[in-house]
Amino acid sequence: MSTPPISNFRRMVRQTLTIARRDFVATVFTPTFLIFLFTPVIMLSFGAIGGFGASSMASNPADKASIVAIVAPAQQAAMRATDARLRKLFSPGDQPPRLVLEAPGDNPAGQANIAFSAQGSDATAALYGDLTQPTVLYGGHGRGDAAYLAELAEGTLRAKSSGTTPLSRASFSSVVRSKPSVSGQRASAYFTVFGIFFLTLLLAGQAVGTMAEERNNKVVEVLAAAVPLEAVFFGKLIGMFGSAILFIAFWGTLVSQIHAILPGNIASALGDIGPAVGTPLFVLLFFAYFTMSYLLLGGVFLGVGAQATTPRELQMLSLPITVMQVAIFGTTTFAAAKPDSWIAIAVEVFPFSSPYAMAAYAANSPLLWPHVLALAWQLLWVAIVIGVGARAFRRGVLQSGSGKFSLKGLFGGRPSSRPPATS
Amino acid sequence: MRHDLAISATGLIKKFGDRRVVDGVDLAVPKGMIYGVLGPNGAGKTTTLRMLLGIIEPDGGSRTLLGHDRPREASDQVGYLPEERGLYPAMKARDAIAFMGALRGLDLKTGRKRAAALLEANGLGHAVDSKIRKLSKGMAQLVQLLGSVVHEPELLVLDEPFSGLDPVNQERLEALIVAQRDRGATILFSTHVMAHAERLCDRLAIISGGKRRFEGTVAEARGMLPMRAHYVPHHDGAGVRELLPPDAEHVGDAWRFTIGDDGAEDVIRKLIDAGFGISGLSIERPGLHDAFVRIVGKAALEAEQ
Repeated sequence: MSTPPISNFRRMVRQTLTIARRDFVATVFTPTFLIFLFTPVIMLSFGAIGGFGASSMASNPADKASIVAIVAPAQQAAMRATDARLRKLFSPGDQPPRLVLEAPGDNPAGQANIAFSAQGSDATAALYGDLTQPTVLYGGHGRGDAAYLAELAEGTLRAKSSGTTPLSRASFSSVVRSKPSVSGQRASAYFTVFGIFFLTLLLAGQAVGTMAEERNNKVVEVLAAAVPLEAVFFGKLIGMFGSAILFIAFWGTLVSQIHAILPGNIASALGDIGPAVGTPLFVLLFFAYFTMSYLLLGGVFLGVGAQATTPRELQMLSLPITVMQVAIFGTTTFAAAKPDSWIAIAVEVFPFSSPYAMAAYAANSPLLWPHVLALAWQLLWVAIVIGVGARAFRRGVLQSGSGKFSLKGLFGGRPSSRPPATS
Repeated sequence: MRHDLAISATGLIKKFGDRRVVDGVDLAVPKGMIYGVLGPNGAGKTTTLRMLLGIIEPDGGSRTLLGHDRPREASDQVGYLPEERGLYPAMKARDAIAFMGALRGLDLKTGRKRAAALLEANGLGHAVDSKIRKLSKGMAQLVQLLGSVVHEPELLVLDEPFSGLDPVNQERLEALIVAQRDRGATILFSTHVMAHAERLCDRLAIISGGKRRFEGTVAEARGMLPMRAHYVPHHDGAGVRELLPPDAEHVGDAWRFTIGDDGAEDVIRKLIDAGFGISGLSIERPGLHDAFVRIVGKAALEAEQ
């Protein structure tokens, strides 16, 4: 009937895993988990629809936009050739509007003005007059296009004096950097912060309602009698974290294959982006900091959500946490771009921003020992958050006045002190 | 520390706000017994049990559970059925029982095997793989009770276990409690239904207004009240009243009076000698119900004063 005595720590680990297992199974083996798993598809679909609509709205005016050059027919071929040459300097998205060439009439100034109000045309700039001293008119956002027209006039005249035969013929070859550039490290820091923020925002919020299930079903009394509340809270977090890992593993596998379908030049450009600590270690650190971020924020969500008695209260309570998280994201992103600033140090130390900031630190700096300290510091705060949440639950919901928080209690304390058997 | 006690509590106090819900309760529950905690609604029974189990911390006093100062350390040897029943509706009956066992240290595989056997033995063999939400309230309650005994605990704490059960299931539950005691377990249960306590309890405590008002056996509780006689004379007359004790009351054609420490023989003899005869005579032994009403009523009176 009796079982051999075990330490409080072992008992707590076993109880935590029992709760975690129950929550994981209850979450994953349901049809609703499939909806959750495919949420990104829904998000991407809406994003694609919105993006398609926005781009078609933006592209229609772009199709009609033009720059107008009123030049003598003898100069038009040279200007067109210059335009073709200069356009190669622009990336496809940054091309100037199409060039429309017109022969000058009796009143070139009036002709240029009419170009801005002509039916079916959307001129952003118009050039007229002698090319050595042209006049360029431009609309509200056409200052750059006007400068381009002036450059066309200059190029046309230069081509006339020196001919159109190229004086220099360069050969191009792509080079892959052996080390990521500083800007690549900054970019990787930004993507890291964004990645952890996005995943945590998407996944940790689920923890807010998990204690509500126990409260509604009145299972909490059974759990509280058998298991320390800290183990209940931690077990529920681990269970939810398990489902989050499943989500990440599924989408991570898909996303990791994207480079195979990217065009070569984009893949080469991405090669510039890389963490200072090296990719394999960075992947480990990313996972470790995501875990800490999830446990910290999930712990706050869980602790706050456990106090709520209605779904409305749940929503009201989770909003401030989300706002706080967005603020932390903004500050940490700013700090990631300035890794030596005092803000960067502050967000690395502040427990709730520390996972984001230290992941960015891994992208910016090859030093490893700060990560050991940071992970220990964050783990301590996970314990504090869970302990405080459990204590608040004990006091507020179970109405136990003496929910003393102690790390010793959280991690097991002294070994079991069974009395000697009597017979 | 007495090792023959499963539970020992001294001066337990619990305050909610300014109100003392439990006010200095002492309990000593010997091992291997069925021990009842009786009291009216709001007496502090549930709060006392929750403090004993470590669900909430007392504001004063001390307690040991199976010899442990910290009840949590004994949790693997304890089974608990709370007053507010709670199960996960999506779980199967077998898994729910095994889960509750797992919380108390029983491995899941063994838990599932025992769960199936327990369900079978208690008339729920057909519901082994039924989800909790498909079961009736009484069946779900029985499943939860089986969950509290699946790990074969040394101590079983049941808070109002009979509430919400039909008479058939009440009888089944009584049998289950006795079976647990016969297995060697100690059972502590709270109730305000005297019939169950009278049939089951080896010892009991009566709590009222947060204080313990009585502790002892059922017989000792009943012994607190004198027996009463119900006498119907063959020939009633004015002289009968004079031969009866001062508290005698005339109810219909019968007289009721308290039997003193000397018994009723002298009074009856005098009535016969005086020629009133006996048409009917019965001796009423007070039940636990009467003792309870007397103890709780007295406590309420004291509280008012």
